[in-house]
Amino acid sequence: MERPLSPFMFPTWYRFQITSALSILHRLTGIALALGSILLVWWLISVAAGGEVFATTHAFLASPFGIVLLFGWSIAFFYHLCNGVRHLAWDAGYGFEIRSAARSGYAVLAATVLLTAMTWLYVFLA
Amino acid sequence: MTKATSISDTTALRDEVVPRQVRQFGSARDGLREWRLQRLTAIGLIPLSLYFAASILSLATSDRKTAADWLSLPVPALLVILVVLAGIMHALIGVRSVVLDYVHTRARLLAAELLFRAVAVILAGGAVLAVLKLFLGR
Repeated sequence: MERPLSPFMFPTWYRFQITSALSILHRLTGIALALGSILLVWWLISVAAGGEVFATTHAFLASPFGIVLLFGWSIAFFYHLCNGVRHLAWDAGYGFEIRSAARSGYAVLAATVLLTAMTWLYVFLA
Repeated sequence: MTKATSISDTTALRDEVVPRQVRQFGSARDGLREWRLQRLTAIGLIPLSLYFAASILSLATSDRKTAADWLSLPVPALLVILVVLAGIMHALIGVRSVVLDYVHTRARLLAAELLFRAVAVILAGGAVLAVLKLFLGR
């Protein structure tokens, strides 16, 4: 029998819950950051290599598409970081009640927006 | 609150609760290693990745000399090596757990395992070499 796998249960069978939505988002941002780490390692290598390699990498990162990638990377990073702290608190046994799990979820979203906004204000003003 | 303390006392964070011998295909002793490494790297990555992100977002679009000078200093060089190693370990454990959830045939699982491990080793090695070159070459 063909059984549906969990993410595809979400829109049809499960009603929206902040906790499960954020859990899925944690995985997605984790995968995005893993992919993004390739770009960051490539940047380190290009700095060491210099010359043509660095010029190409730099042009790519400074292009509008590169800035959008870095912006997306920063959102994913701050979300995964804040939600990761939430997970560590759960691992230590805190915040399991449904109410506090929902509340910490909204706090994570707010912190993500705030930290991303602060970072890019700093980048563009400094 | 009292309940919370009792949970943290009984979670698998403590060695004593890990079963030393299990029947059938249970995870005797080794099962927690990845779980623990994921949490340890997560804790380390809180300060390390904040430092790295703060530095890189302003450096990513700067000229080469600024970036190279930064990486030739001992503290940034050490911290970047640490953040890359902890980050790649953390990412590999995470990616593997996603693969285990969605890849169900043995051959594909083995292929994914080899691929992601190879990518992780290459990325870590490349990043460490790059930082060492800049650090030692000043």
